[in-house]
Amino acid sequence: MNRKLLCLLPAAAVIFYAVKAGAGAPIPPPAGGAISGKVTYTGTPPKMKPIDMSKEPTCAKQHTTPVMTENVTTGPESSLQYVVVYISEGDSGGAAPAETVRYDQRGCQYLPHVLPMQAGQVLQIFNDDQTSHNIHPLAKVNPEWNKSQPAGSLPIDTKYDKPEFIPVKCNIHPWMHGYFVVLNTSHYAVTGPDGSFSLKGLPAGKYTVTAWQEQYGTQTQEVTIGATETKTANFTFKALPY
Amino acid sequence: MKTKIAITTMTVGVALLFAAQLPSGSAQESHVGPLTGNASSGKPLYKRFCIGCHGPAGDGQGENAPWIDPKPRDFTAATFKCRSTPTGTLPTDDDLDNAVTRGFVTTNMPSWNPLTPQQRADVVAYIKTFSPRWKTDKPGIPIHIPAETAVTLQSVLHGRELFQKMECWKCHGPAGHGDGPSAATLTDSKDQPIRPYNFATGSRFKCGETNQDLYRIFMTGVDGTPMPSFADVIQPNDAWDLVHFLRTLQTMPTPELDIWKKYSSEHASEIKPIGPDAASGGN
Amino acid sequence: MPRRFPIGAIALRWSLISAFCVACLLLLVTFNRHAPTAQAAPLPSLHVRAIPAFARKYGLPCSACHTAWPELNNFGQVFRDNGYQLGNERDSPIWQNPSYFPITFRITPNWHRESTNNLAVDSIPGGGPGSTLVAGTVQQNGFDLSGMDLWSAGTLYKNISFVLLPSSDQNASWHFESAFVRFDNIKGSSWFNVKFGKFELDNLISEKRFLFLSNNGGLYQGYHYDVPGTINDFGYGDNQLGVEIAGHSKNSYTRYSVSVLSSNDGNPGFVSGFGTPANRGYDVNLAFSQAFNAGSLGLQRIGAFAYIGERPTYFETSTTPDGSGGTTTLQLVGLGNKPFYRAGVAGDFFLKKLELMPLFMYGHDNPYLGAGISSTSALPPGAKPPAWAGGFLEGHYYVNTQNVFFARVERIDVSQQPFVNAGFPTDYGNVRAYSFGYRWYPIMFSRAGLALHSEYSIVKSNGFLPLSGDGSGLQIFSTANPVWSSSVMLGFDFDF
Repeated sequence: MNRKLLCLLPAAAVIFYAVKAGAGAPIPPPAGGAISGKVTYTGTPPKMKPIDMSKEPTCAKQHTTPVMTENVTTGPESSLQYVVVYISEGDSGGAAPAETVRYDQRGCQYLPHVLPMQAGQVLQIFNDDQTSHNIHPLAKVNPEWNKSQPAGSLPIDTKYDKPEFIPVKCNIHPWMHGYFVVLNTSHYAVTGPDGSFSLKGLPAGKYTVTAWQEQYGTQTQEVTIGATETKTANFTFKALPY
Repeated sequence: MKTKIAITTMTVGVALLFAAQLPSGSAQESHVGPLTGNASSGKPLYKRFCIGCHGPAGDGQGENAPWIDPKPRDFTAATFKCRSTPTGTLPTDDDLDNAVTRGFVTTNMPSWNPLTPQQRADVVAYIKTFSPRWKTDKPGIPIHIPAETAVTLQSVLHGRELFQKMECWKCHGPAGHGDGPSAATLTDSKDQPIRPYNFATGSRFKCGETNQDLYRIFMTGVDGTPMPSFADVIQPNDAWDLVHFLRTLQTMPTPELDIWKKYSSEHASEIKPIGPDAASGGN
Repeated sequence: MPRRFPIGAIALRWSLISAFCVACLLLLVTFNRHAPTAQAAPLPSLHVRAIPAFARKYGLPCSACHTAWPELNNFGQVFRDNGYQLGNERDSPIWQNPSYFPITFRITPNWHRESTNNLAVDSIPGGGPGSTLVAGTVQQNGFDLSGMDLWSAGTLYKNISFVLLPSSDQNASWHFESAFVRFDNIKGSSWFNVKFGKFELDNLISEKRFLFLSNNGGLYQGYHYDVPGTINDFGYGDNQLGVEIAGHSKNSYTRYSVSVLSSNDGNPGFVSGFGTPANRGYDVNLAFSQAFNAGSLGLQRIGAFAYIGERPTYFETSTTPDGSGGTTTLQLVGLGNKPFYRAGVAGDFFLKKLELMPLFMYGHDNPYLGAGISSTSALPPGAKPPAWAGGFLEGHYYVNTQNVFFARVERIDVSQQPFVNAGFPTDYGNVRAYSFGYRWYPIMFSRAGLALHSEYSIVKSNGFLPLSGDGSGLQIFSTANPVWSSSVMLGFDFDF
C-alpha cells in the first residue's frame, strides 16, 4: 500500500511541472462577466501635427491629406483613441493563442498604431509599401533587434516572451511611430475613435484593470464582477498641451 | 529495503527534475578561445580600466560619459553592436573579447590589446554580470559566412544593384558618404543623434576591417543603432557582391576599387546614378 | 654627542615592514635633537610624471594607464610607445571638449625631516674660542615644497608627438627636463620611431615614473652613482640630449631602443655636469626588453641595457693676462675623451597584486677618468679602472587602484677603487639604501590626481656625502666612516 503511494510521487512531480510550464491546453473561460467603459481626457491635449512625407514620394502620394502624428489621438466627446486597456491582475493568463497578430507598414505608417498581443503569440510584420522599411522595435526587457524589410519581401515572423510596452520605429522614416504591447493576459482591448472598450468573457472575480496611453502612462482600477455581470470602468487622463 | 531503494530513486528523480530547471553554464564565467575568464578576477580589472566611461554599474554612466560621443556601451541592456550572432541575440564571449581587443575606431573605446588574453577574458566575464539576460538567454548561434566569392566586375556591379535595391543609399548616401536623405534624422536606441558610416573616412569599421567583418556587419546588423540586419533579405552570394561593391566606396586601394575605376572610366555613360531615380529601376 | 647608530640595524628591519606610521613615530621620538641648520640641497631633476591632461582628453581614469601614477602599466606603456596616441582616430585635440588643454602641472607640498651624520660641525655652536670641528648630525624638519613639473605632451600631428617639460626646483629655478619631437610609427610600423631632443633614457625601470619622493628615497642610487673620485659625471637616470631610434611590438611586449647622445649628461649649452665645457663626444645607449604573459599572474618583463660613453680628460684652454699682473685660463672644450660604460639587467614581475622590480648593473670607467689626469700623460702605476656593481630590489603592493605600499633595498659595491682613492678603505664609496612608504589616492577620476604620500628612506654612503645632496656644502668629518642620511616625508602629491 505504501509503495503504491510512493510510486505516485514522481507522477505527481511530473504533473506539477507540466502544469507549471503551462504545457496543457488552456481551459476556455466560461462566457460571463465583462468590464467596459470609456477613456477620456480632461484639460487641453496637444495638437497633432501633420507629417511631411515628401522625402518618401512613394508614400506621400498615397495620402490625399497629410497624415497626423498619433501620440495623443482624440475623438468626439474628449475621448482618447489607442489606449490599451487590459486586465493586469486577477487573470490567470494562459498560453498564447495560436492565432497570429498582424502589423502592417503601409503608406509609411504603422497599422495599427498600437498593437497588443499576448506573450509568446506569433507576430507577423508586413511591408506593403514600395519602399524599404527597417523594423526596429526598441525593446528593453525583450531582446532588441532591427531588420531590414525591402519592398516585396516576405513578412517577418517573430514573438515576444515577456510582457513589455515596446516602441517601434523605422530609422529610414523617422516619423513612423508605433507600439507593440506584449501582455500576459488574453483580456485586452484598444480604444477606438470613440474611446470605448469592452473586456468580455471574464469569470467572476476581482480584477485590476489597467489603461495605458503612450504619452500619459498608466492608470489602474479594481473591479469586482459577478459571473454574468457587466461593470463599467471609465478612465480619465489629464492632458497637457505639450 | 526495497522501500528504501524506491524512496532513494524517487528523491533522485525529483532532484533531477529540479536540476533540469536550472540554467546551464555559469554567467560568472567566459570562454574565450582556450581560456576561461571569471568575473571575480575581472572585477578589479573593470574598476581599473573600464569604470571611467562605463560606470560602476556598467550602465555607461561613467564620470566622463556626458562628454563622450558616441556614448559608452550600456552593459545592462545587453545590446551590442559587433556580433557574429543574429540581431537581437546575445553575442558570444569571443565577440565580446574581440570588441575589447580591437577597440572601436572613431570612439573613445581604445584597443585593450596590451592587456593579457587572460585579463581580457576575465573582464568579459565580469561584463556579463551586468545584465540578467546572460542568465536567462544563451548567446545566439554565429551566422555562417560562406567562402568569399571571386572579386570580379560582375560581383561589383551586382553589389551596386543591391546597394540601390536594398536602399542602403537612403542613409549612407549614393556615394556612401553618410549623407543620404534619412541620415540627418537618425537616432540610436537611446535617442542620441547618430550618423551612418561614411565609407570615405578611413579603412576601418567599428566592427572590424576585413571583408568577412563587412559581411558580418550588415548580415547581423549593428544592434542599438539604426543599422538593421539584412540576413533575411540578402542571399550569401549576393552578400559577397555587396561587400565587393562597398569596398569601391572607400578611398584606400583595393582590388575592388581598381576594377571599378577601370570600368567607370570606360563605361561612364552606362552607369546609372544611385538614388531615388525612377529610371534606375530601383525603388 | 654620543652617536647612536644602531639605526643601521633597525632600518634594515624596518625596511622589511610596511608599517610606515609606526616607524615614523619611533624615529621622531628617538632623534628629537636640534642641530645647527645647513642647507640640504636636493638633487635636481628628480621629478616624476603622470598627466591628467591625457585622462581628461580620452575619458580614461588614471588607473587605466598607471599601476599607481606615475608608474605606467603595460596599457600606458603602449600609449606612450605609440607617441601618446590611442590610435582610434580620436587623438587630435580638435575632437576634445574646448575646455581641454594639454598641460599638466605637478607639485608636492610636504612636511619632511632630513638627518645626516658624520658631518664636520663646530663643537661650540657659533665657533667661538675653544671650538673644534667634531663629527655631528645635522637634522632639519619642517614644511616645505617640492619642485614643480609643468608638463605638456601630446601630438603635433598624427604620428608626430612631442613633450615639453620645464621643471623647477622648490625655489622656482627652472630648467628643461625634457623637450623632444618624436616621429612615430614611421612607414606605418611600430618598430621604427625616432625621437630628437632631451629625453629620459629608455630604461625598463623608470626613475621618472617611480613612487618615491623623499630626498634620499627619490632617486635610484645606481642611476646617479659615480665612484667618488672619478671625473665621470654620468648618471643613467639623468635625461640626455640626442636622438633615439626605438621600436616596439604592437602590444609593447617586445621593446628596443638605440640612442646616440652628446657626452654632456644632458646639460645643454655644451656644459658638463661639473659646469666645465663639454667635449665633442657622443655616447650610445642600448636597451631591450621582452615581456611574457604569465596568465592570471600578469605580465612579466625582463630587459637588458648598456650605455657606452666617453668623457674628456683635459681641456683646450686659453691663458691670457688678467690685467692685474696674473693670468686667467679659460677652458674652451673638453678633449682627450676616455670611455666608460654601464650595463645591466632588470626585471618587472607581477604576482597578482605584488610587483617586484629587480635591477643589477655594473659600471666601469676608464683608468684615466679614475686618475683625473690628461690622456696625454702616462697613467700612474697602479691606476686601475674604477668599477662598481650595484642594484636594487623594489616591491609594490597594490591593495587596489587607490592604495599602494612600496619598498626598496639597494646596494652599490665598489669593486675597484680609482687611483685617486689609493689608500682609502676598500669599501670606500659603497652605498646601502633602504626606503619604504605608502601612497593613498583619495580620488581616482580623470580630472586630476591627488595622493597622500608617506615615505621613509635611509642611505649609508661610505665616506662620502649621500647622492641626495643632504649635507652638501659641509665637509665629511671622517672619510673612514659611513655617512648615514635619513629622510622622512609626508606630503600631498597632486597633479592637474
